[in-house]
Amino acid sequence: MIELKNVTKQYPGQPHPAVDSLTLTVPEGEICVLVGPSGCGKSTTLRMINRMIEPSAGSITINGQSVMNNDPDHLRMGIGYVIQQIGLLPHRTIAENIAIVPRLYKWPKEKIVRRVDELLVMMGLDPEKTRSKYPSQLSGGQMQRVGVARAMAVDPPIMLMDEPFGAVDPIARTHLQDEFLRLQKEIRKTIVFVTHDINEAIKMGDKIAIFGEGKLVQFGTPEEVLTNPANEFVENFIGYDRIVKKLFLYQVQEAYRPAVCRLRPEEIGNALSKMLAEKAEVAFVLNEADKPCGYLTREELEQEETARDADGLQKLAARRSKAFVQTTTPLPDALSVMLEYDAEYVGVLKNGLLEGVMSFKDIRRHVYRREGE
Amino acid sequence: MDINLVDFFQRNTRTIMEYTENHFTLVLSAVVISLLIWVPIGLLLTKSDKWAARIMALANTIFCIPSLSLFAIMVTIPALGLGRKSALLALVLYAMMPLIRNVYDGVKNVDRNVIEAAKGMGMSSGRIMREIQLPLGLPVIFAGFRITVVMTTGIAAIATYIGERNLGRFIQEGLVRSNTSMIIMGALIISVIAIALDTILGGIEKLVIPKGLRARR
Amino acid sequence: MKMSWERFQIALFEKAPEAVLTHLLIVVITVALAILISVPLGVLLTRPRYRKFGVVALNILNILNAIPGMAVIALALPILGLGIKPAVVALLFQSLLPIVRNTIAGLLEVSADVKEAAAGMGMNQRQILLEVEMPLAMPIILSGIRTSTVYVVSVGTLAALIGAGGLGNMIIGGLALFMPEYLIVGAGLGAIMSIFFDRALSYLEYKITPPGVRAN
Repeated sequence: MIELKNVTKQYPGQPHPAVDSLTLTVPEGEICVLVGPSGCGKSTTLRMINRMIEPSAGSITINGQSVMNNDPDHLRMGIGYVIQQIGLLPHRTIAENIAIVPRLYKWPKEKIVRRVDELLVMMGLDPEKTRSKYPSQLSGGQMQRVGVARAMAVDPPIMLMDEPFGAVDPIARTHLQDEFLRLQKEIRKTIVFVTHDINEAIKMGDKIAIFGEGKLVQFGTPEEVLTNPANEFVENFIGYDRIVKKLFLYQVQEAYRPAVCRLRPEEIGNALSKMLAEKAEVAFVLNEADKPCGYLTREELEQEETARDADGLQKLAARRSKAFVQTTTPLPDALSVMLEYDAEYVGVLKNGLLEGVMSFKDIRRHVYRREGE
Repeated sequence: MDINLVDFFQRNTRTIMEYTENHFTLVLSAVVISLLIWVPIGLLLTKSDKWAARIMALANTIFCIPSLSLFAIMVTIPALGLGRKSALLALVLYAMMPLIRNVYDGVKNVDRNVIEAAKGMGMSSGRIMREIQLPLGLPVIFAGFRITVVMTTGIAAIATYIGERNLGRFIQEGLVRSNTSMIIMGALIISVIAIALDTILGGIEKLVIPKGLRARR
Repeated sequence: MKMSWERFQIALFEKAPEAVLTHLLIVVITVALAILISVPLGVLLTRPRYRKFGVVALNILNILNAIPGMAVIALALPILGLGIKPAVVALLFQSLLPIVRNTIAGLLEVSADVKEAAAGMGMNQRQILLEVEMPLAMPIILSGIRTSTVYVVSVGTLAALIGAGGLGNMIIGGLALFMPEYLIVGAGLGAIMSIFFDRALSYLEYKITPPGVRAN
């Protein structure tokens, strides 16, 4: 756990402090994202935790121990540190770069070699191919991975990451973010993560700390921040599409309805009467193996021009054969499916079987219910 | 030891003037000839990397040769012999390295994007050279000129050993006759001149930097 | 000038070996001292506490370097007397600048990101200097040492003027006595020695450049 209490950084000759009486707690095993426009003091805050910058006032403790009690070099050896520019030593191979901190800890050689390979694998790099290369021979994304691997070399419980994925193209960044989140589920580090990108903050953070002009403006989970922006500054920083952003926090399983009308192949002829009996707006057509292969809506069936014979209905249903999502699909992706297949409803699958249904209305209702909380 | 510089200066004013004049005619002709030969060659070399590497290696090698050696080697060439021709040729050969290298570097180091943009606007390569590469490379080229002038002034003194009657002669004769005043006077005059030239040219060097490139504040 | 084969042989086999050894001695001592003084000075002048003296120090060394080599050597005589020692001191003056300048340039060129990352991992100042900054700056420092060495070989020929001996003796003797054989041997060996040092140090420079940096 990292605790900052009334931490201030005042540079001489500056009218305002770079960080102004900041109090913040980062719980164990969580990612806390510091986010804000440039010059808001987020990087300064991060760099005060490992004393790359000395605070002017206040206290910073890690698991109850003040960072000021420790020799700065020794303190930093125990904290993983990743920066946007990565800063790999250009004259050292990848293996040597990763081995820097283990070497400072005077680990035996074999242990270092083993650990380097382990980390390379963990980062999705081939040790055989990567180990003895120099940084200049790697791509941007690979260098970022090596930067993260290097920071994790001695398995420090705490990592400080300053725009760690900032120097790569958007596709590689999404990739690195996803991989890192997956990794974090296993390693459960306490991480302070700095970014200027609110989308990255929402995606990466268990908690988000929004900074403005050296002050903490709002601190909370991504959902809290998106639902109840503390003030106009936060609202503007999040952007006009904050509700769309909020969708990224939810998966289909939170919004769908489990009750659903199913039509076996032999029932398709009297679809309408079954739907009326079950008071259903929509009915899913199953094949002989109970797999859903499309759906019909009550509105369609009540229209005069709709063909009533089983064959015609089968064809109509099959037009929506791809309008299905998984329970774990994020809501924005479910929306995409609806728009792509021009479907008012999507079927929700779990392990390949029909689990429920979700309409556009369900999404809207879910988001607004959360909004009102 | 009797060191009386003022007295020495007063008694030898005419000789000092004569030596200084000789020194400068030698330096001036060497620098002018060097500029006329090496600057165009330096510009030409920017067109061919292969030849640039070859010529630069040659210039570098010549530059390594101790000046006393180079003067001595010139003298043994029958067509040159003792005197001004040998001195001039040696000095011009020395100037090859700073001039060619700085002209080449100055022109070559102009930001590729700027040249790319100029090409994209339809400028011919001659125009790019005149309007972009030369002005932007001028500070580096001028630095080469400054090095050449200061260096030539210093090395020219050594030509006294191959018969030039210039400021090096005080040192040479002072050493032979163990005349301390003469040695110090000779060394001082030539040092002051070299430092003065270096300082003045250093001042001008700052002025030839294009306005947009000067550091702000 | 008529040349005699006999005198040429005397010059090459009897006079030259001693002259070459003396010359080498002067060069090696001067360059070694220059490195011992210049590299630490360059390191010091890039440390935050002493950085403000950097410009002053470089300006002084720059002015010293504008002084013609012949004048420096000549001035050593009335101040320090005759012999190898005065010659070494005189040569030392001007061999400092290239090494100090390149040490400073080399150290300043090490990217701030790399130093930041090294500090962030818990390397102390000494480790950062020895393991990060110096190896990365070394090619540039060596190039300064090369410039200095070539300078000392070259101006070292003038050391003969104040009785230090070396290859300059043969050249000046040859000029004074009109013996082209001595002249050619002395001048030729001087040129060869200088070019040899230049090439050897260039090669070392290439070898010492870390492969990861060379790739760029």
